[in-house]
Amino acid sequence: MQGSTVNIVLVGGGSGGTLSANLLAKQLRAEIQAGKVQVHLVSGSQQHIFQPGYLLVAFAGQDPTEIVREERSLVNENVRLVEEPAERIDLKSQVVTLASGKTLHYDYVIVATGSTPNPEAIPGFSEAALNFHTSPEESRRIWNMIQQFDGGHVVIGIAGVPHKCPPSPNEAAFLIDDYFRKRGIRDKVKLTFLTPYPRPYPAEPMSRVVEPLFKKRGIEIVTFFNVESVNPTKKEMYSLEGETQSYDLLILVPPHRGADVVVKSGIGDADGWIPADKNTMRITGYENAYAIGDATNIPVSKTGVTAHLQAITASDNIVSAIRHGRELYKYNGRINCPFEMGSGKAAFVVGSYDMPVKEIHPSRIRYVMKKAFARFYWRTLSGSLDWLFGLYFGKTQTVERT
Amino acid sequence: MASPQTGVKPTTIVDSRGTMCPGPITDLFRAYRNANIGDVIELLATDPAAKSDTEAWTKRSGNEIIAVIDEKDYIRIQIRVVKKGK
Repeated sequence: MQGSTVNIVLVGGGSGGTLSANLLAKQLRAEIQAGKVQVHLVSGSQQHIFQPGYLLVAFAGQDPTEIVREERSLVNENVRLVEEPAERIDLKSQVVTLASGKTLHYDYVIVATGSTPNPEAIPGFSEAALNFHTSPEESRRIWNMIQQFDGGHVVIGIAGVPHKCPPSPNEAAFLIDDYFRKRGIRDKVKLTFLTPYPRPYPAEPMSRVVEPLFKKRGIEIVTFFNVESVNPTKKEMYSLEGETQSYDLLILVPPHRGADVVVKSGIGDADGWIPADKNTMRITGYENAYAIGDATNIPVSKTGVTAHLQAITASDNIVSAIRHGRELYKYNGRINCPFEMGSGKAAFVVGSYDMPVKEIHPSRIRYVMKKAFARFYWRTLSGSLDWLFGLYFGKTQTVERT
Repeated sequence: MASPQTGVKPTTIVDSRGTMCPGPITDLFRAYRNANIGDVIELLATDPAAKSDTEAWTKRSGNEIIAVIDEKDYIRIQIRVVKKGK
């Protein structure tokens, strides 16, 4: 590293972008303070939302303000926080253009722009369905609606693919079942879980855990139902497969797409997912550009834990490159999604590129672990708890000497 | 290019090789949402569950599997879209 300042730009202030910025600021502290490196975090939102918290806002009445913090309060002092949206990412010219027209030239970029719920993809969805993937306010609307609900047919599940946080639709079914039981009106509620997949949980080993629990709770399962449209007047929805399903209260996860800035910049596929190497996290065709988390097209769950682990790999690779290191870090596809299954119990969805998802049954201790993770979330963004992650997850990346 | 085994040229090729369940069926559903009646979707997959999941889905939805072709390291499934929506 000689001469001019090395600029690193992180695009996106979610879990992956915030953690990457903080990890780089910690690891490159000496270089930053010597004026040799600058780390810029571009965040279109001034607020950071703990998205797994949507579930508890929607189905357990948690205060929505408890899952939101100021992004500025989460960012290392050596990170330059840019509080405006990115308008364009030009990978060839190595320039990020902001909404104001200002430009940031970079030597290294990490694109962590996440995924966006796309209810508009399904005619009638926005008028008819509630969802807990959009905002704290939208999640709160579900809590308000279910409190007023005195009986009838609740349909809950997945409208279309892909979507973030694969366990969350199942978790919602367990939690709403718990809620109606606590209110003593479960016998007045018909509860249906609807999914485009062949089984209640997409990966068969975990579906073997979920299916008997749904049956025990009297939750009906409708599979292979890709919602094509919803008729709010008739309270009916129609599948691409040609079937009809009626409802009184509809709570569905909409299909997701990539961020607008990815589409506008032409750096993703038709749905806005960025092609990236599933191990190094480099954007296809570029050695200095990385994509992490939901934003990529790589074959792994779109979850916060995944974004976290990929952020470690991408930032380690940038630090290595800046210091002329010979190490190339490779993420191994490790996933570890907390999965709440009602009655104060939880499991985890665990797997990697080389290890198919395991069958894990719910327990009280796993529930406590899930709650502990939620409590520590804000601290995990600083990177200061990565030793704990390392102890728990074991190896999440390998190192290749080049 | 038409498949030498079936003589059918796919409208869309969905390459899900290297993804594990539910990757291939997710990719198939994304292609199905954008497909028209008469289109042929060719799904390439390394995950063994892709075959059984696709068979179960076509049986339920009324769509048609033209062929399941075993290649060296993966399978190719050709699906003709004959039913979509009401």
